[in-house]
Amino acid sequence: MVDPIFQSDNTYQLARKMLDASVLRQNAIASNIANAETPGYRRVEVNTDFATQLRAKLESGTKDFAADTADIKPSLVEDRHSRSVRPDGNNVEIEREMLDMNKNTVEYDYLTEVVSRNLKQLKLAITGRA
Amino acid sequence: MALISSIGAYQNPLLSGLQPTRTDSPTGPVKLPGISTGGTTGAQPGGFGKMVENLISSVDSKQNEAASLTKDVLLGKNDQLHQSMIAMQEAGTAFQLMVEVRNKVVESYQELMRMQA
Amino acid sequence: MNLISGIDVTASALNAQKTRLDIVAQNIANAQTTRGPDGLPYQRKIVSFETELIRQTGTSADSKPTQSVRVSSIQADPTPGTRVYDPQHPDASKDGYVTMPNVNMAYEMVDLMTASRAYEANLSVVKNARQMALKALDIGK
Repeated sequence: MVDPIFQSDNTYQLARKMLDASVLRQNAIASNIANAETPGYRRVEVNTDFATQLRAKLESGTKDFAADTADIKPSLVEDRHSRSVRPDGNNVEIEREMLDMNKNTVEYDYLTEVVSRNLKQLKLAITGRA
Repeated sequence: MALISSIGAYQNPLLSGLQPTRTDSPTGPVKLPGISTGGTTGAQPGGFGKMVENLISSVDSKQNEAASLTKDVLLGKNDQLHQSMIAMQEAGTAFQLMVEVRNKVVESYQELMRMQA
Repeated sequence: MNLISGIDVTASALNAQKTRLDIVAQNIANAQTTRGPDGLPYQRKIVSFETELIRQTGTSADSKPTQSVRVSSIQADPTPGTRVYDPQHPDASKDGYVTMPNVNMAYEMVDLMTASRAYEANLSVVKNARQMALKALDIGK
């Protein structure tokens, strides 16, 4: 009975789901930077069809976004497309990883802010006090 | 804004649940459905009480969900710290909603008592 | 409790880079050591890394597990050192040549800089991850 309060806002649920991907991306970047010198290591990243699947679900106009996307989870995949800059097959570029990390941090801050604001607004509506 | 409009959707069942139902005669005592003990003959038997029960059980399940997510983080089975925090906040908000509903009901009851005296 | 994401991986990398820095320091310090405990000139040590899979929690089953790094071996570089003609040297052979250690300062300095840069990059990853975790604790407050 209480759940519809949280489920009706798709923006809030979408932000919640994207937070999972953001955390996983941080793990991927940590792994890439840690293995920047390891021979034969190929860099990993979050799968791109996570975002496309979420967008498809959103555009199909679902009532309960959280339940419908419960089985869509982000995962780590190896990046086979980028060229290797070293003879040992390692295709990690530290500068690119650092840039990605900065971008990801801002995205994570933004998503937590979206979630936070929605929750605070809800509390304000319920109690009349901040 | 959608979150607030969904709270607005609550007002209607709450208000209709509080409508007093008349029993025998127009001057007889007015029974609020669900508040008196069993055997009420109101138009909505157990309406409001049932709703409060549902509210309590859904708040309870929200708390349980938050507790299980938090437990997984504490035991190291999960590193989804953000999901645990969000679930705890949602459970807290749901609990606050329940407390506010209770406050309003008690307030209305006291108002009624004052009217009768 | 694994509250800071990716901390295990980064910790392993910091350890590995630290080991590498230690070995580079050892090589540089022994660049002129013509007689070691075994009577032979110092041989340059090389550190090699390898990955180690660790379990990744909280994602789907077919997700690639994250890989931490560790030092697989510290081997001696078999390249023979340069021979310098110095008959006065206490370790000179009969024909007056001394075999110097096979430590090339240029290589070692480059190695030192790469290892330092990698160490610093990993430190900033940890700092970032910690900041993200602290931000998560402020949700709804």
